[in-house]
Amino acid sequence: MDWVQQSLVIGLTEQAPLILAAMGFALIYRLTGLINVAYSETVTLGAYLGMWVNTTFGLNFYVTLIPAGILSGLLSVATYFALFRPAKRRNVGVVELIIISTGLSIFLRYGLQFVFGYTYRYYEVPPPNTIKVLGVGVSSFRLIALGSVLALALILYWFIQKTNFGIRIRALAGDEKLAEVSGINPLAVTVLIWFIAGVAGGLAGAFYGVGSSVKPWLGWEQFLFILLVVLIGGAKNIRGVLLAGLGTGVLLAALTLKLGNALYSQVALIALFIIILALRGDRSAEAGKV
Amino acid sequence: MNFDWLSAYLIFGLFTVVMVIGLALLLHLQMGLVGIPNFGIVGFWGLGMYVFGVMLVKIDWPWAAPWPFLLSLVAGTVAAGVGGLVVGRAIAHTGTDGVLVGTLGFATIIALLATTERDLTGGAYGMGGLEFPYDTGSIKADEGLWLGLVIVVVAVLLWYVSRVHRSPYGRLLIAIGSNELLARSLGKPTARTKLVMFAVGSAAMGFLGALYGVIVHFLTPLELGIGITLATMVSLVVGGSARVWGAVVGAILVEGFFDIVVQIYLPLPASWYQQAMPVVREIVLGATLMIVLLFRPLGVLGDMRRDRLMRSMHGG
Repeated sequence: MDWVQQSLVIGLTEQAPLILAAMGFALIYRLTGLINVAYSETVTLGAYLGMWVNTTFGLNFYVTLIPAGILSGLLSVATYFALFRPAKRRNVGVVELIIISTGLSIFLRYGLQFVFGYTYRYYEVPPPNTIKVLGVGVSSFRLIALGSVLALALILYWFIQKTNFGIRIRALAGDEKLAEVSGINPLAVTVLIWFIAGVAGGLAGAFYGVGSSVKPWLGWEQFLFILLVVLIGGAKNIRGVLLAGLGTGVLLAALTLKLGNALYSQVALIALFIIILALRGDRSAEAGKV
Repeated sequence: MNFDWLSAYLIFGLFTVVMVIGLALLLHLQMGLVGIPNFGIVGFWGLGMYVFGVMLVKIDWPWAAPWPFLLSLVAGTVAAGVGGLVVGRAIAHTGTDGVLVGTLGFATIIALLATTERDLTGGAYGMGGLEFPYDTGSIKADEGLWLGLVIVVVAVLLWYVSRVHRSPYGRLLIAIGSNELLARSLGKPTARTKLVMFAVGSAAMGFLGALYGVIVHFLTPLELGIGITLATMVSLVVGGSARVWGAVVGAILVEGFFDIVVQIYLPLPASWYQQAMPVVREIVLGATLMIVLLFRPLGVLGDMRRDRLMRSMHGG
């Protein structure tokens, strides 16, 4: 019983940002069909921007989330206009688009080392208290982070599924021509998608960064898991991503506790997810276009 | 003959260029012809390197000199081939997203295992003891011979790939790449062809990895980062992924510039090579990928007869 409780608490609190990051990635992936490798740098930049605002202006961490999120969203929109929109106009193929986004990812990952320096950076936050949850000690900070991530994820879910904007976004994803005829402005909606995805990724990055350190490959380390969570859970809708993200966090923690090594649990989880995807076959690929 | 011009740096630089030509030729078969974008080249390359190294160093072989080396080389190659078979099977029926996850996931698993299996690989610290299978008495001659060997291997590969282009097998690969359903409807065993080609290509990547392990003598998981995959992909994209000579031209332009011209001949301050140059290199490579694919998607060599034919047929 201890094992189950520990897995639940550790998994949920440590991997909470993964849910947010995966939801942002899923938005772009499901609605525009693009596998954006450079999304990992949106996450990294969110961590760096939050750290920069936090340490430069001495703001409270939760206040820094606002500028960090908005700036990440704007940067995400900027990459769309600078790279992905021209690429789409030139009818670049699916594989080439992944390679282009890989190029952008590498460019940003190494480029930001010139801006923020080569060394690890840290947020300046007061040391957290430890609270017992189900008999497991958790830092108060991680609990608040989990709460904020879940709240943000639910707002995002509500926004996509229930609001007028969300309906437009999904209409555009379903059939661009039809959406256009119905009076939806595709450009405005696409920009909105990139902005929201950027905000989600940037906030996830800020939570990752404040939990440990801020480093250039912070987002890239998470990218494979973001991709796995989206492909496993995102075939149907955004709720699947939420559930897959939660499940991945708990599973990682449970395997780490059992195997005694975090790296082994990653190996096991990657292998397991690839096997699931292989057995499921083409279905996810087709659903990705809808 | 006088080999004074051939410094140790130059031997290593040339070795890297030739090896990347080989990897890019294999990626040309996988991605350029059949359309499987292998984002985990470093996984197959690294698996071959590590299996070769571990077999050679850790096993107490009962046989005399050349056999442990040759058997380890075979083991490394076979291991990478089996890896290719497993990954190829897993991604056989998925879309591009599945290929990305499968190959990238495989490379990540290999890098993680190289770190965790400390008893075998020395973990993050690394593992030494990989020596040349011969001893001429001079380190330079040893390394020069090894460079000669890799040149021969890659030349054979180049000859093979250019043969593939003119053979029925090559036309089958191109047909699968451009329209798999059509090829299958004509009775071609597309799934098996793809799987075998992917596995054999991966085995050859592992073979090149083992050759690389010998010239560096010391393996660390740092080798298993994104560097090799990126170098290979940029080289192929720059040269042109649809053409045989694209891999050669691209690798000479990209790797030749960074690993030979910049490393050896540019008069840069020594401190730059510590931290700044590797970072600049990756920035330029990333930018190159974006610029080439946006403005010259067929690479510097441009299009070929087949592309013009396809365009005239489809009115593009």
